[in-house]
Amino acid sequence: MNSPLLLSLALGCGWIFSSESLMIAGNSAGTLGWLVIPLLLGTVLLLICNSAITHNVARSNNLHSEIALLKTVLGTLPTVSVALASCFPLLIFATTGLLVTAGYTFNEVFLYWFPNFGFAFLLLFCLTICQLLPTRYLIGIQLLLITLAALGLLILGLYGIFSLEQPVTAMLTSPRVSSSTLLSTSLLLLLFVGPTLTQGTAKEYVKRSIFVLAILLPWLLASISHVPAERLAHSTIPFMTAARKIMGEPGRQLMGVVVIAGSSAAVTALFLLCRQKLKELAYEAILPSFFATAGERWVFAPIAAIIIATCMATGLAGDEILEILLRSALLLWLFSHCLVSIAAWSGYTAKSVQPMAARFPAILLTIGCGAAVYSSPHPLQLLGYSFLFLIACGGLALPLVIIHHRQKETS
Amino acid sequence: MKRILFFLSLFLLVGGTPLLAADVPTMSKEELKKRLGSADIAILDVRSGRDWISSEFKIQGAVRAAATDFENWSKRYAKDQTLVLYCA
Repeated sequence: MNSPLLLSLALGCGWIFSSESLMIAGNSAGTLGWLVIPLLLGTVLLLICNSAITHNVARSNNLHSEIALLKTVLGTLPTVSVALASCFPLLIFATTGLLVTAGYTFNEVFLYWFPNFGFAFLLLFCLTICQLLPTRYLIGIQLLLITLAALGLLILGLYGIFSLEQPVTAMLTSPRVSSSTLLSTSLLLLLFVGPTLTQGTAKEYVKRSIFVLAILLPWLLASISHVPAERLAHSTIPFMTAARKIMGEPGRQLMGVVVIAGSSAAVTALFLLCRQKLKELAYEAILPSFFATAGERWVFAPIAAIIIATCMATGLAGDEILEILLRSALLLWLFSHCLVSIAAWSGYTAKSVQPMAARFPAILLTIGCGAAVYSSPHPLQLLGYSFLFLIACGGLALPLVIIHHRQKETS
Repeated sequence: MKRILFFLSLFLLVGGTPLLAADVPTMSKEELKKRLGSADIAILDVRSGRDWISSEFKIQGAVRAAATDFENWSKRYAKDQTLVLYCA
């Protein structure tokens, strides 16, 4: 279980098969038609280049994490603020949404008499218990969840392609140019929420991307070919609509498994990402060393679970604001990637990389981030909440940073 | 004594909420099924957020309405019409 590729898959592929990701991918496919395939390939290529350059710059400067890279450019407090804001709001709001969606799926697909919220709470409880297990068991469970989701999606995708009466190329719809085209394009970046760019090598990033594309592309091709573009673009559950069109009732049930397994994998990955981020902050001597110990999971997982359970119990999932909070959290993740990319560009010293090459991913990511805000239906609210999360994370971490700094000085 | 009072208040708050809502008449699914399609009934889907986004189904003929916008949509229906609201 110590294979870097397996670890990379467990952390980096958790989000991509979640209901949130499948919704973004389905809506984008409906809007962009066949154009979604080259744009998705382009997005993956951009992220691979970005990963390779950032990794190269960090290593050549003897920096071992993106936190270290950010710290050299931004300083301590902004680094803590950006690092925490890129994953903690996402953990809370995405988990709230994903678990509630998983609850609805279980209720509507498998057991109609089982309360959806009951299932959401039960799933949160089980996933929190998993977080308390030693890492090798946790990674094993995570890989099982990802395999289940990926296999379900692959079966549906391949069945959808091979059951067509005409070749798949003849069934692909043309892109529709509208105000949502830009949004759909920029949102493709949000499919790849995952571990830090400097973590693991670019080679692992490539292998992970190939795995993701091998699952996602057949699924998207099948979705575009079976569901009218208009319906795919505007549905809140395009994945379920497509699964039902492709395979009928068995397709719905298979998609039910994909949604529950994929959402559980996404929640586990988000927990792991947050823990990883705290660990990196502790390694950089910004936060107390406790966060880098094995015991941190006994504190972090229950506290995070209580916050998420409170969000669910207070009805946040039933409020429209959750979608804006979730998009703001996703935007912060993208923003932190942009900052890391810009930090790599400005901190460029590696001789093997040409400066121009280092600029392109940073520029494109920044444009993508800007486009995601500009084309969103609520740009001001998105920016407002993102700013609020940045301030809140910085404010919450400040006492810890100060206490740790004083402790270091006295010792 | 303070603890007892606290738990008693909590119990009344939690247990009393359904009692306050007891005045609102409810309709069984069998009864609603019989009256589906009838002109004297309007079905309103007041689910919002994820409750709406994640669900695959809606009751036949249901119209979406925001629970918070009662003042506006209540005027659209006749006073003798039965309004059926569902939120889950």
